[in-house]
Amino acid sequence: MTSGIVFDIKEFAIHDGPGIRTTVFLKGCPMSCMWCHNPEGQSRQPQVIRGLAGDRIAGKEYTAIELASLLNQQIDILRANEGGLTFSGGEPLLQADFVAEVIDLLDDVHVLLDTSGYGQEQDFRQLANRSNLVFFDLKLIDGIAHQHYTGCDNDLILKNLHLLNEMGKPFVIRVPLVPGVTDTNQNLADIVLTLRGLSGLLRVDLLPYNKAAGSKYRYAGMEFKPDYDESQEHNLNTELFEQAGIKVNVV
Amino acid sequence: MNERLTTLKNRVRAGTHRSLRQVAPIEILTECESRQLSWPRRVALLVRRQCEAEHVIIEPDERIVFTRTLPGVPPIYSPEEWAQLTVGRTLHESGPVSNICADWNLLLSQGLLGRKQVALATRERLVDEPKAVEFLDSAIETIDAVLELAARYADKAREKGRVEIANILGHVPAHPARTFHEALQSLRFCHSAVWLSGNYHVGLGRFDQYIWPFLSSDLRAGYLTVETAEELLAEFFISLNKDSDLYPGVQQGDNGQTLTLGGVTPTGDSAVNELTRMVLRVSRDLAMIDPKINLRISAQTDLDLLSLATELTRIGLGFPQYSNDDVVIPALVSHCYALEDARNYVVAACWEFIISGRGMEVVNIGAVSFPAAVDQAIRAGLTAQDDFEGILDRVFKNIDEQVHQLGEAYSRLLLPPSPFYSIFMEGCLEQGRDLSDGLKYNNFGIHGACATNAADALAAVRQFIFEDCSISSGDLLSALNANYAGYEPMRRKLADEGSKVGNNDTVADTLLVKLFDDLADACEMYGHTPRGGILRPGTGSAMYYIWLATGHAGMREPVVGATADGRRSGEPFSANLSPSLGVRVRGPISMLQSFAKIDYQRICNGGPITMELSDSVFRNTESIRKTAMLVRTFAQLGCHQLQLNSLNLETLLDAKAHPEKHTNLIVRVWGWSGYFCELAPEYQEQIIARHYFGSS
Repeated sequence: MTSGIVFDIKEFAIHDGPGIRTTVFLKGCPMSCMWCHNPEGQSRQPQVIRGLAGDRIAGKEYTAIELASLLNQQIDILRANEGGLTFSGGEPLLQADFVAEVIDLLDDVHVLLDTSGYGQEQDFRQLANRSNLVFFDLKLIDGIAHQHYTGCDNDLILKNLHLLNEMGKPFVIRVPLVPGVTDTNQNLADIVLTLRGLSGLLRVDLLPYNKAAGSKYRYAGMEFKPDYDESQEHNLNTELFEQAGIKVNVV
Repeated sequence: MNERLTTLKNRVRAGTHRSLRQVAPIEILTECESRQLSWPRRVALLVRRQCEAEHVIIEPDERIVFTRTLPGVPPIYSPEEWAQLTVGRTLHESGPVSNICADWNLLLSQGLLGRKQVALATRERLVDEPKAVEFLDSAIETIDAVLELAARYADKAREKGRVEIANILGHVPAHPARTFHEALQSLRFCHSAVWLSGNYHVGLGRFDQYIWPFLSSDLRAGYLTVETAEELLAEFFISLNKDSDLYPGVQQGDNGQTLTLGGVTPTGDSAVNELTRMVLRVSRDLAMIDPKINLRISAQTDLDLLSLATELTRIGLGFPQYSNDDVVIPALVSHCYALEDARNYVVAACWEFIISGRGMEVVNIGAVSFPAAVDQAIRAGLTAQDDFEGILDRVFKNIDEQVHQLGEAYSRLLLPPSPFYSIFMEGCLEQGRDLSDGLKYNNFGIHGACATNAADALAAVRQFIFEDCSISSGDLLSALNANYAGYEPMRRKLADEGSKVGNNDTVADTLLVKLFDDLADACEMYGHTPRGGILRPGTGSAMYYIWLATGHAGMREPVVGATADGRRSGEPFSANLSPSLGVRVRGPISMLQSFAKIDYQRICNGGPITMELSDSVFRNTESIRKTAMLVRTFAQLGCHQLQLNSLNLETLLDAKAHPEKHTNLIVRVWGWSGYFCELAPEYQEQIIARHYFGSS
């Protein structure tokens, strides 16, 4: 029996996929995106969050069976409301064996994997295989910029994207619009080019930058240091996608 | 909303109509005394003199008239006489009959003259029964008084060349209404006259049922379109907001002007009609606190109606409040309500299920303080070295004792006669009996207040003292006595760890269920009251979530200090059915699952699951539909009542700092909505401390 670390379980997560869903946030992420809005999801270890109402520990260890039975308590409700479970993070691929075991223990339910795509092929394969839908983040296509802003290169991500398409899984590409970083016409055009011809692509979701992200760092005892101008207007260029025949949504 | 409605609304919000008010209430005590009138005759005289003293106000842009100018209801007894009259008796709240609902269809279908004919016929039949004659004469006097006031309004309208108003008032409220417009005008007059008579929390009942026939025939005949009908409806709703500051209540806004929509007909068919939807739309567009809306739903209610209702929730008025027919109707039937009456239930001022025109029920005779019952049991039980079962036995004894005390206090209940209100109650004029002498249903309601904190405290004791023994009973007692000073790590453990209600966790939920079972048992054991009714247990908290923590003048229940759930002395409890403040919960699904475990067939007095959603949840039609699904889930899980609020925490904090920028900010307080900046600070703080389920 494997166990894993979860930093939050959030019900009625209305922007995390179709219908009424519950999202499990897995703790730990190999990336360190400069704009990360879940900084408490980065470290694998439980950590203290010093909130206005006092301290709390973010991160709780569950065995697969514990987590699955907790989730199974409400699966009937999720299923009756066109929804299901979403595994997000952090990065679920980092705890792939655990997540796979949890999914195998679940009653019949729609599963959505919300991933950065950064992980080993076998990890990605086993989770994508068990999912009905994948939310796949694409941030930057330029490898050097990707390394600078996320702390890692994007080779694995692009490989897993193509693997996903070959597996025949439906997926949604999610692009966080970071002003002057990911929302440049160049990057968006590169993303369009990357996506061209991928048959499993349902649509692209553009996620406008959330300025509230920075405030969470303080509570997690971390430092927020963007080297881009947060106050800059977004470039909401949906046309680039539409011209390429790709359905696009602003979330 | 067109310009005329916007002007009407802004004028009422700005309170300009208040400048038309008379300086002081009228004086009638001297006349009551010199004529040595009986109590019913004094009340009738009160209604007559109030109507006579009203100034006629017809604003140039109004199509539904009546603006109250009298600032209050004068006494009809001197303090000494009143003390003598009420010696040894219990008065409910401030005394007058309140928080019941008329059968307004009696007014609309018969008119006041029709009701007068009934009274005259009964008077002839019962001419040898002085009490009946006195009641009927009193009722007739009030009918004449209201008709004279309506006639003065009609004269003034004619004089001002306001033909439409003059014609309508030439017909109603004297005669049966013929049109939607007449029905609304008749209702406006008589509803206001009930308030003028000194009654309060005057409900509007199943508005979409008794008004619909008028609207439907006007629409069919082409007198009205949906748009022109909505305009009249909006004007009627605006008029209900004129006098809120004159109505008695714990806080402003607590005025009981509720209406109930949807549900089933007395024969069990769907009662939803176009007016149901129209009320939801108009209320959404108007964004005012009155009337407060209840929507009866079931597991089968379609998502389109629930989505429309969610659009109303979205604007942040704190309503509609939902009640679940699948649960409420059988619960009422199992408490001796006839099936056709149960199917006709309406929601009282806050939450309680009552029957229009057939209930003289006192739905809130007080609260059983679960925190007091549990806290006393924990302290006494640990001191006596009881086992956990021993503590639970003490909890039941305490609950039973509180129920008994409330029941005994109300066995001496004295209800003042209400001849005018009686006109709209079934059987009063027909049998020559004032409603205060009882109607078909005469039950009392007792709410079990602040149950989640109490259940969490019991769960903590079970887990940490009796199961893992990580806290000793001596240490807990010392910590409670010290209000946790010097015991912060223990307090954090009690507050943050272990089982809490709201997470669908068996330990705490089982104790929650037990508290309500105990309450139901205690009410059943009490048996019948001298008024022939029973005690109905409920799940509401009203102002008790503040009062039990901080105390209040005249409150029977003891103030509760620090509690074993880690709550410090003075900190408020959570409202109605909601997780304890500050407890971490996963979200709305687990919360509904926790509260679905209560046996609502035994708990029929109402009291909602209270859930706050961040306003960001309502961003688009997709998320509105998901919220509608959440409401449907509430019904499917078999819960009985749901109050869903949309709030923005930053807005609330800003409103605390800059009230002048947020004069129109509306929040749900307990069973009613009010303007945030008109609430006392402790109520504002409690709302800020609630759980918010966000969108990200």
